[in-house]
Amino acid sequence: MTAQKRDVILDIKGLRKSYGDKIVLNGVDICVERGEAVVIIGPSGCGKTTLLRCVNGLETHQGGTITIDGREAGSKNFDWILVRQKVGMVFQSYDLFPHMTVLENILLGPLRAQKRTREEASGQAIRLLERVGLADRVNDFPRQLSGGQRQRIAIVRALCMNPDIMLFDEVTASLDPEMVREVLDVILGVARQGMTMMIVTHEMGFARVAADKVIFMEGGVIAEEGPAKEFFTLPKTERARRFLNTFYFE
Amino acid sequence: MRNSGFDVLLSLNNLRRLMLGLGGTLEIAAVSVAVSVILGVLCGFAMMSKNRAVYALFRVYLEAFRIVPILVWLFLFFFGSAIVFGANLEGWFVSVLVFSLWGTAEMGDLVRGTVLSIPAHQWQSAEAIGLTPWQVRRFVIIPQTLRRIAPSAINLVTRMVKTTSLVVFVGVTDILRVGKQIIEFNMMKNPMASFWIYGFIFLIYFLICYPISRFSKKLEEKWSY
Amino acid sequence: MRRTMVKFFGTTILLGMIVLAGAILTGTADARTLDEIKAAGRIRVAVFADKPPFGYLDEEGKNVGFDLVIAKRVVKDLFGSENAVEWVLLEPANRVEYLEADKIDVVFANFTVTKERAEKVDFALPYMKVAIGVVSPESAAVKDIADLKGKKLIVVKGTTAETFFASNYPDVELLKFDAISEAFQALTDGRGAGLSNDNTFLFAWANTNKGYTVGIPSLGSLDTIAPAVRKGNKELLEWLNEDIQKLGAENFIHKAYDEALAPYYGGTVNPNDLVIEGGVIK
Repeated sequence: MTAQKRDVILDIKGLRKSYGDKIVLNGVDICVERGEAVVIIGPSGCGKTTLLRCVNGLETHQGGTITIDGREAGSKNFDWILVRQKVGMVFQSYDLFPHMTVLENILLGPLRAQKRTREEASGQAIRLLERVGLADRVNDFPRQLSGGQRQRIAIVRALCMNPDIMLFDEVTASLDPEMVREVLDVILGVARQGMTMMIVTHEMGFARVAADKVIFMEGGVIAEEGPAKEFFTLPKTERARRFLNTFYFE
Repeated sequence: MRNSGFDVLLSLNNLRRLMLGLGGTLEIAAVSVAVSVILGVLCGFAMMSKNRAVYALFRVYLEAFRIVPILVWLFLFFFGSAIVFGANLEGWFVSVLVFSLWGTAEMGDLVRGTVLSIPAHQWQSAEAIGLTPWQVRRFVIIPQTLRRIAPSAINLVTRMVKTTSLVVFVGVTDILRVGKQIIEFNMMKNPMASFWIYGFIFLIYFLICYPISRFSKKLEEKWSY
Repeated sequence: MRRTMVKFFGTTILLGMIVLAGAILTGTADARTLDEIKAAGRIRVAVFADKPPFGYLDEEGKNVGFDLVIAKRVVKDLFGSENAVEWVLLEPANRVEYLEADKIDVVFANFTVTKERAEKVDFALPYMKVAIGVVSPESAAVKDIADLKGKKLIVVKGTTAETFFASNYPDVELLKFDAISEAFQALTDGRGAGLSNDNTFLFAWANTNKGYTVGIPSLGSLDTIAPAVRKGNKELLEWLNEDIQKLGAENFIHKAYDEALAPYYGGTVNPNDLVIEGGVIK
């Protein structure tokens, strides 16, 4: 089958990345289709976060290709600033802008980068805030919100750009346990609405429910990939089995 | 005949001369502060360039103004330029020049330090929503820099206002010098003149610097997050 | 790497400053000649603004004082008007530098002639002399050093008076203080028979503190006070000397004394203890 027929949004081929002598990504191939939720798991330092940051152009890669919506990164008519408007990203650290209210945080991209009207963009922002249950906090500053609320706002901020694909980089890793659920519920809701997404997470229970496809990375390469159900019930490789076992007490 | 000596402050001539001296002080302070803020911000952003030679050069410039007393710099430009280059610079000009150079160096360092103190993820999340490099600075980095820098920048301004008392050494007449002239003139008939005149000057400096530091406190409270 | 670079540039700048400082000390700026001053129509005269009664500002902020009376007359002799002048107000510490940097033409600022200064500037003929004196209560006036035998003399540490008595009259017992205010307090408390300091200072003090007199008005080696010009400014120096001799012929310095110093020193001081006419010390 050709790429067009499968409606591929993101196509990564032979991606390589190293910091000095340290190789972080050593030939990674990933293909993400529209509407697909891909969950990337693996031990710390396996390169999964770096992979996401390469997709957003926050890191430069040294080998291989990244093709987003049919355009190859680094080619002539490819502009990261435009591409980032179509690739939403939510980080592990609470990354709201502390000097702006919730609404200003959400509208910064739509108004300044996408040049949309305030009326139209804020309408969408309010609708999205209602969906995550935070419409009443629209004029609050980030310091007045809990960690879980901030991450939900960060997700809304990315969604309000109407991205083609969303990247989640361990968004619950620095949250207190009781706040993890509210954030994962929001992501799950977004996935159910058909948003294309790449999720790096350590929450195996969530991965099992949310993922269409699971990619297990180790040592800068993909060690195993497959449909979520198969991967979690019957991993093919010994390494994946050992990794999954670390999450259960026996 | 001894009296409280307060009448030294009731003389219109004395007050007029003190105010003229104050004008001289404030003029130098205001011009230097304005120049320092503008050039300091440019300087601070330039200093974040990855070019090590540029950074080293700035470092030397800054340290030179920190290690060598301001008075020496004033003399260097006032007498040095005349003797070495035959350029007879006015005391007023030399004062503004030295205070601006000093203020720019300190301001540049403040800006640089403050911008670097803004977490990397603030830059990244601003980039991630598709802002251009200029928009990232304009909407995310500079507003946060301003809030963080306000207390120390205002501290620098009050330090500059106070240090302007050195300008007498390059022939500029400031409020302290006028005060000393009035005190010496009244020395014999009014030994208490120094108390009243210095008290008055103290009050003036207080009236200038206190609102500035109050203002900075207010900003700090308003902008804390 | 960064550290060594900072050090390297730091050393360079430091060396540069030493060279510049050296250039300042050896000085090369050219002084204005007499003709150039005349052509400019104004002479730049350095005076004090806060040293009464020699150079200070009156209530209206006008330059007045003993130095000023003489300087104004000199300006008038040069231009025919005493207004053809730019008064430059300076601090005692940088009178030499102002001349070396050619920021002024002549100094009339209570400038004491010393060997060190004479190497850097050219002094004209003196118009005043100062020495140390001794002030004491009128009731027990000290009129001669012999009167101090077996008594205490109050001095301020580090002054000419202290060294003068310590080296020439070791049998006079000295009571030393750090500040002049403490020393005067000790005298009024009667802790010493007299107090020794610069005579100009004592004259003024005795004038406002009734019951005290400067019994010994002049002691030790005389210091003279003279105008000064930039080293090597020969024409200006010669003209200045001629003018001072001319003023001596009409006893002008005495007139200046009466106008500016007498109100400060009172009628009891003999002007001849202080003024020099025509540059000749009598």
